[in-house]
Amino acid sequence: MSQEPVSRDKGGFWVFLRSQLRPRGKILTPFNVISVPIILLGLGILVVRFTQGLGSVTNLSQETPWGFWIGFDVITGVAFAGGAYTITFAVYIMRMEKYHPIVRATVLNGLLAYVFYAGALALDLGRPWNIINPIIGNSFGFNSVLFLVSWHFLLYMLAELLEFSPVVAEWLGARRARRILSAMTLSAVIFGVTLSTLHQSGLGALYLMAKPKIHPLWYSEFIPIFFFVSSIFAGLSMVILEGTLSHRVFKDQIDPKKHHSFDDLIIGLAKGAAIAMFVYYFFRALIFLHDKQWTLLRSGWGAWYLLEIIGLVLIPCFMFAYGVRHRSLGIIRSAAVLTLLGIVLNRLNISIIAYNWYSPVRYYPSWQEIVVTMMVVSAEIWVFRWIVLRMPVMREAHELPSDPQEKPERAAVAASL
Amino acid sequence: METYTYVNIFETKGLEYLLLMSFLVLLVFFVRYLREPGGDD
Repeated sequence: MSQEPVSRDKGGFWVFLRSQLRPRGKILTPFNVISVPIILLGLGILVVRFTQGLGSVTNLSQETPWGFWIGFDVITGVAFAGGAYTITFAVYIMRMEKYHPIVRATVLNGLLAYVFYAGALALDLGRPWNIINPIIGNSFGFNSVLFLVSWHFLLYMLAELLEFSPVVAEWLGARRARRILSAMTLSAVIFGVTLSTLHQSGLGALYLMAKPKIHPLWYSEFIPIFFFVSSIFAGLSMVILEGTLSHRVFKDQIDPKKHHSFDDLIIGLAKGAAIAMFVYYFFRALIFLHDKQWTLLRSGWGAWYLLEIIGLVLIPCFMFAYGVRHRSLGIIRSAAVLTLLGIVLNRLNISIIAYNWYSPVRYYPSWQEIVVTMMVVSAEIWVFRWIVLRMPVMREAHELPSDPQEKPERAAVAASL
Repeated sequence: METYTYVNIFETKGLEYLLLMSFLVLLVFFVRYLREPGGDD
């Protein structure tokens, strides 16, 4: 056999890839104008961080070794990614086909959240090259929660990649690969859901050893369960918000026949979020009573705690219920925003605000830490948009209107795979 | 003759049981509220 067809196929692949790298849509959009300087500034800060060390750009210290990058990017970001395991569980295990149209976008969002937010963990390590240690067996530390979390992050990213891989195969026109990868989806989903239940709670378990440092209103032996349950409604709220935004931004990608059913999806998700929040609220109330914490409510910390529990859990829970009952999408979206704020506040309370709460020297994130976090979020949105504009994420490939310009290039790639 | 014994609802965890029972009852009503006509099934 001659080598020629292979090289021609490879050439076809590169032509196809080049065609996909071309920008699509308007370049001067408000998001681009805001996000590009943030990303460039963030990259500059990261250069300083990796050449001069953590102390040069962060306010971290021996007293506060975990700051905003862990508290927001990793702990909060992973909770927001909970929508992926919740929706895949509903669609592939419970066979709730109604949610099938949003499963691809949700899995992509979850995958990118893990890649970017959990990836941000590497920024916060004093010696980032040691991140490989739990994987290669150098100081395994079987008893460490971090050991579980690091392995789970790695395995879950692979499971999500597998769940998303049929979309990539469709994009490349590789029908046989798509068939094989689709057959593996159910296994990947079961594996992914199992991993999620453990590492969502595992992130909470990281704080079990910090009992003397966390304010008693936030510390509990049940933090792992709180983290897991709250990741369900955090993920659903994120899907509601992200789905609403995607529905507006990528409306030309969505099958017009499915536009009307989107409202029903949002209402179904809101119903799930309301029930999960109701259960979560009573969990917290039970622990509050069990630990006899009512005397702690008289302080400023008590008011802060009530703001989180009543203002950003109970009220949005009832807003979701009211929105479902009256089919009010506006109220449901507002409830989703409040819920996400509640999750941010809860995770930051445990990891930063109510952590070392008695200390006279408080930790505040530096402006560089905030810019790098904004860079991570912006970069994730850029990649999400790039993929959605090119791959069949909002609907399956055969439902997409064909682009005559792309056809020959795609055909060449498909032939090579 | 036995004397009256005061049961401290806090020490006996009675309050926790009450909360748990209220939760279960309220959960039923809450789910029913979400399923009322006018809501989505």
